[in-house]
Amino acid sequence: MSSGVGVAQSVLDTFQELKIGKKHKYIIFGLSADNTEIVVSKTNTDTNYETFLAELPENECRWAIYDLEYNKGEGIRNKLLFITWSPDDAKIKQKMLFASSKEALRRSLVGIATEIQGTDYSEVAYESVLEKATRQTH
Amino acid sequence: MVNYGGDEVSALVLDIGTSTTRAGYAGDDTPKAIIPTCYGFKKDPSAEEDVSMSEAGQENDASPKKDKIITYVGNNGPTIWHDGMEIAHPVRDGLIEDFSPIPALIGHAFRDIMRCEPKEHPIFVTEPAWNTAANRERMAEIMFEEFEVPAFYIANTGVLNAFAAGKGSALVIDIGHDTASVTPVIDGFVLRKGLVHSALPQLVRAHAHHHLTSQNSARPGIQLLPHQLIASKMPVEPAVPPNFTLRSDRESGTTETFRKWYEDREVEEWIQGVAGVLDQGWNEQFAAQRGARHYEFPTGYNYYFGAERYLVGEQYFSHSPQLVASNPNLPKTIPNLITQSLSACDPDLRQVLMGNVVLTGGGSLFAGLSERLSNELARNFAHVKIHAPGNPTERRYGGWLGGSILASLGTFHQLWISREEWQEHGKKIVAQRCK
Repeated sequence: MSSGVGVAQSVLDTFQELKIGKKHKYIIFGLSADNTEIVVSKTNTDTNYETFLAELPENECRWAIYDLEYNKGEGIRNKLLFITWSPDDAKIKQKMLFASSKEALRRSLVGIATEIQGTDYSEVAYESVLEKATRQTH
Repeated sequence: MVNYGGDEVSALVLDIGTSTTRAGYAGDDTPKAIIPTCYGFKKDPSAEEDVSMSEAGQENDASPKKDKIITYVGNNGPTIWHDGMEIAHPVRDGLIEDFSPIPALIGHAFRDIMRCEPKEHPIFVTEPAWNTAANRERMAEIMFEEFEVPAFYIANTGVLNAFAAGKGSALVIDIGHDTASVTPVIDGFVLRKGLVHSALPQLVRAHAHHHLTSQNSARPGIQLLPHQLIASKMPVEPAVPPNFTLRSDRESGTTETFRKWYEDREVEEWIQGVAGVLDQGWNEQFAAQRGARHYEFPTGYNYYFGAERYLVGEQYFSHSPQLVASNPNLPKTIPNLITQSLSACDPDLRQVLMGNVVLTGGGSLFAGLSERLSNELARNFAHVKIHAPGNPTERRYGGWLGGSILASLGTFHQLWISREEWQEHGKKIVAQRCK
């Protein structure tokens, strides 16, 4: 079951810029004003994870791609994270819209290593995200 | 092509539950019509066509052939006493078992209460996750053939509740009037092998019924009689035997199914009024410390219920060894349902599911249930997060509300099964489109 919301071409282009060109550290996605299309709402090159967290609004839903870089003793590794941000305080209509539109976005982005579903800041904190990204083998 | 920008779909949303049927407009935050799903019926004694007795659409002809049957649906349906009226429940285990009264129920909700004509609106219907293919096709058939709707969609309440909580993946615990279910949802799809449900709420009511009608050291057994059968009563002091007179004229015309139905209702009201569950497991002292609550029955009998009111809720979480020994087919408790559901799921998914538990359904509003559940789960799992909407309407009508939002979206237009598609492809399109 899906909402039928589509994905803007700019979303795919921006994702390629991050994945291939490494032009961005993260991308934040949202819905267009008329709720018909998924669009890019922000990109940034700032490598500080806290800057990224500050972009997730307290009571509104977003999706994000974050290029996580870490070193667990085997050299520097990179993983692309797909984060669904749906805080408990968001309006129910928005939660429903984002949850039912997620698959359309997720399917159009190839090369994601880890998916994270976040409803509060502790679930998307750096340690928790790093733990999830490095636990999974695939 | 980009014509569906504005959210002006004016679709209808229908959610048929065991206890109530909810109907309303997509985009609204509460259903407009909430009517009992059960209905009353009796053979027409006159057997002649006598349409004049119809009261504002509450009586609909279910079967025009052979024996004339009068049915009573809606808020003034089963609750109004009729001589020889039987009560029937079309939904069992969450599934529609008897479709014969369904058109009358739907017609009553839309036409008589909402004053709208289903022919003019797309209709979004909800179903339990364990609904059968034959059942959903029958529903599509009723909508297209009998109500001539222009478009139809059917979606399961497990996914709708997960989505309404903002989650693509979640473990949905839905406690309804008769059925408690646990539905694992991953990326918007139900994981069928982990889908479990039991008649636990019925057991809770049966337990409460037995408890209330049996005498204990402090009080006699309580008579469960509805106001429909009571002619007059006098106010009495708490715990004093009631002083009332029965309507003797109604004695002989009261059927067994009506009696069962009203006793169940009296128990349900008592449960909603005073029963609860302790947040840390059964402890008689703690239960006594919570204080007694006053409750008055329709007979006038009233009593301050002490610790015993917390005993009832224990049934959701544990069954006594004697009960288990006497009945091997006991409905599973909530913790057992969760364990069973998780053990059928891939170990990788368990953590995701337990981190995203969604508690919903009118039965989950039982006093203390969500606190107790989170304590029980925290004891057994490392990362548990329960999402339980604080707003009772969101909990009671979660499935309806999810459908209401989805069906109101302009972009959802492309997913509806249109009348033309139904006529061209027939029943098989339902399974193809509504995944």
